[in-house]
Amino acid sequence: MMKDKALEELFLAQKPHFSDNAEFMASLTKRLDAVEFIKQHQEAAIRRYKMLMVTAFVVGVISGAVAIGYVLSTPADVPLFTFHVQTGILLRLAEYSRIIAATGLSLLMTLGVISIISNVQDIRRMRNRIYAIN
Amino acid sequence: MTREVFIAHVEREQEALRGFLLALCCGKKDDADDLAQDALVKAYLSCVGYQDKGKFRSWLFKIAYNTFLNHKASLRCTESIDEARTLVSSTAADSSFEHQDLYLALRTLPPKERSAITLFYLNGYNIKEIATITETSEDAVKKQLSRGRDKLKEELKNEKLKS
Repeated sequence: MMKDKALEELFLAQKPHFSDNAEFMASLTKRLDAVEFIKQHQEAAIRRYKMLMVTAFVVGVISGAVAIGYVLSTPADVPLFTFHVQTGILLRLAEYSRIIAATGLSLLMTLGVISIISNVQDIRRMRNRIYAIN
Repeated sequence: MTREVFIAHVEREQEALRGFLLALCCGKKDDADDLAQDALVKAYLSCVGYQDKGKFRSWLFKIAYNTFLNHKASLRCTESIDEARTLVSSTAADSSFEHQDLYLALRTLPPKERSAITLFYLNGYNIKEIATITETSEDAVKKQLSRGRDKLKEELKNEKLKS
């Protein structure tokens, strides 16, 4: 496509020149500093959150292991729960009642620990916000 | 790309970028500078994935173009030409009325035609490069340029007759 000479000349003649380049760069540098600060803050928050998640996971696993140990240490010939019904699947459930109870227990504990940590975090965040407002 | 390298690139290209956005914003220098700053911050945040192939300016213009379109979409209202006629600002670039006619005429163009015309005539990009920057086909750019040029010439003629 050919350029329209008149338009091209008009645009070139009216090409803007800025006298405030230094101010513009100073303002940009300030913004970039702010962006860096926020980025670092976010990265630190994510790192903290990951650490908390790992902690919760480890605590959950340990608690689960303790629960399994406890369940397995009880007399093996007595099932943990029975249904008093002679149906195939319920009998099978009663047979593996220890494993089922231990798994359920450790799952519950993991979820519980995660929920406690997230609640504590929320409370801290709220407290910080309140202090910031004050 | 490190921050120092990014700033060095920006120092070299900022005038072209600001000129491009000033034309897109029809002479509103404060708006243009705000958009330029936003675009540069976005560029900085995504410059980790940028591989320098000597096309920093095109890459920057692409981000600026998208920032401008987003800004336009967020305004969700078209500014009237009458409003443009009363455009008076305290800042140097738009209070010097030497650019006023061109900016008034540019204001009558839709954002995409305005961008294509500005990139073609002010920044000297060819059709292929404009298609890359605006992420459209070359045919679409040709149409935008042709339509925009006709409208712009008509509007400039009208402005001349009025003055």
